[in-house]
Amino acid sequence: MSFLTFAWDWLKSPQQWQGPDGIPSRVLQHLAYSGLSLLIATLIAVPLGLLIGHYGRGGFAVVNVTNIWRAIPTLGLLILVVVLLGLGVLAWLIPLVALAIPPILVNTYEGVAGVDPELKDAARGMGMTSWQVLWKVEVPVAVPLIMLGLRTGAIFVVATATIAAEIGVGGLGRYIIDGLASNNYGEVAGGAAVIVVLALLIQLVFTGLRRLVVPTGLRLQARSSR
Amino acid sequence: MITFDGVTKRYPDGTVAVDSLNLDIPDGKIMVLVGPSGCGKTTTLRMINRLVEPSAGRVLLDGRDVADANPSRLRRGIGYVIQQTGLFPHRTVEDNIATVPMLTGRKKADARARARELMELVGLDPPTMARRYPHQLSGGQQQRVGVARALAADPPVLLMDEPFSAVDPIVRAALQDELIGLQARLHKTVVLVTHDVEEAIKVGDLVAVFRPGGRLAQVDSPERLLGAPADDYVRDFVGFDRGIRRLSFFRAVSLDLATDSVLPAATTLADAITVGKRAGEPWLLVVGGDRKPLGWAAVADLESGPPDATLAGADLAPVGHTFRPEADSLRAALDATLLSRTERAVGVDDGGQVLGTTSYERLRDAIRAAEEAADRAADPVGGGR
Repeated sequence: MSFLTFAWDWLKSPQQWQGPDGIPSRVLQHLAYSGLSLLIATLIAVPLGLLIGHYGRGGFAVVNVTNIWRAIPTLGLLILVVVLLGLGVLAWLIPLVALAIPPILVNTYEGVAGVDPELKDAARGMGMTSWQVLWKVEVPVAVPLIMLGLRTGAIFVVATATIAAEIGVGGLGRYIIDGLASNNYGEVAGGAAVIVVLALLIQLVFTGLRRLVVPTGLRLQARSSR
Repeated sequence: MITFDGVTKRYPDGTVAVDSLNLDIPDGKIMVLVGPSGCGKTTTLRMINRLVEPSAGRVLLDGRDVADANPSRLRRGIGYVIQQTGLFPHRTVEDNIATVPMLTGRKKADARARARELMELVGLDPPTMARRYPHQLSGGQQQRVGVARALAADPPVLLMDEPFSAVDPIVRAALQDELIGLQARLHKTVVLVTHDVEEAIKVGDLVAVFRPGGRLAQVDSPERLLGAPADDYVRDFVGFDRGIRRLSFFRAVSLDLATDSVLPAATTLADAITVGKRAGEPWLLVVGGDRKPLGWAAVADLESGPPDATLAGADLAPVGHTFRPEADSLRAALDATLLSRTERAVGVDDGGQVLGTTSYERLRDAIRAAEEAADRAADPVGGGR
């Protein structure tokens, strides 16, 4: 109860909703950090996952390396990057990209590698080239899993982008760091609540996106087999 | 014409899937490759469209070595149908069928119009089916889409790998009939792989029987294969089905039915026991005054009853399936005998009156005699090739 009361008192005060420290501008900062990290992670992980899944080599390594990778604490990586490279954009970008890569990579790989061998055989037997098999068959069929990977990555990144505040940049993490430093628990609770709401919204956005990009046939099939 | 010229496929682990195969597949015929699993029949099929490359020898399509062709272009000119259909789940029926025309650069509207033509050809209604997705179709409909997709670019050659194995027997029989009907109109060169001898005999113009180790045992018409198997292997492979199936063509009228253990209901138990012991039969068939069967009496049970009682009051086992020797085949007589708890079946005339009973010995004699007569008639020259 006290958490909600603290949070509510903080949130309803009009000064939280304006100016450069206000919630709207912090949300935009947060989304900018998260979006950039997710974009870079996607540009690395999706092509890699597609290639490994398509050629069927290195899948075992992908799963194992990403499992170890997942065990790296993001905050620890942040401190390491700061020590090695100093403060700057890379200091928060590298840990967030590193965080988003494993779910996107593994799901993309699994999505492509898991395409029914009969489908690939039929596609090849009808005269599709290796690239046509990838783009016309494997990618469309793998889209639901690829989208799942992107959604998981996005939620990880949005929830974890708070660490950027640790090294003195903006985003919603500011409220938590600053609130803790000044014993303002209303600010901590309110900031946490905003992050939770943002993560839920991201989930909704990806659910909508999924409806747009998953081929109709697969969506109907998934629904009828449920 | 497809020619296998000394073709061998050896895998890196040393397994020989196909061994020195020489085979000609003539234009416009259905050639069925049949054999047990692991005999190399699917590998053979897949070497035609280069999904598998031979280790030695050449595969010629109309005189040209397929190894010289660009694999994708080669495959676009050869229809390909597989067991689980391999239909693309993200594409509608018409777009699945339009796959190869689209690959070869035809316009989408054009390719879809062609797809609808093919749907008509394989018996699918375009207005209701064209925009559906594969998972919304039955197994038989999916397989028809698979065939239509393979025919879309009007290839002269059609490869079918166990095309009907995944559907139930009734649908399978219908699809086989449709293939035969389709082929009568289209005259494609069809190579069909199956493990089912019945299917091979039914749909093939020519049947190539493979033996384990990827060697060819016999290539012949279905009739020759049944009438003159080349060796014991082929005889065993086609023989079991052949024997049972042939019984359908032999009338049961040649059966010598037993009448000595058929007794009227008015017979006393003492007389019945005497007859049973003389005939050496544990069961007696009891008939009414109209000679229609009432049931089976067990001789062993009769001994406990009063000797002057009649069979009319005895406990009788049901008659079971009857057959009519004038109309039914030896297969029906054998079947009725197999199903009977007394190991004997009752032959009746058109009026349902008992003519006599079978036994395994009597069936065996009749089958032997009928087969010998048929063999003499089918193969007057005597002997194989």
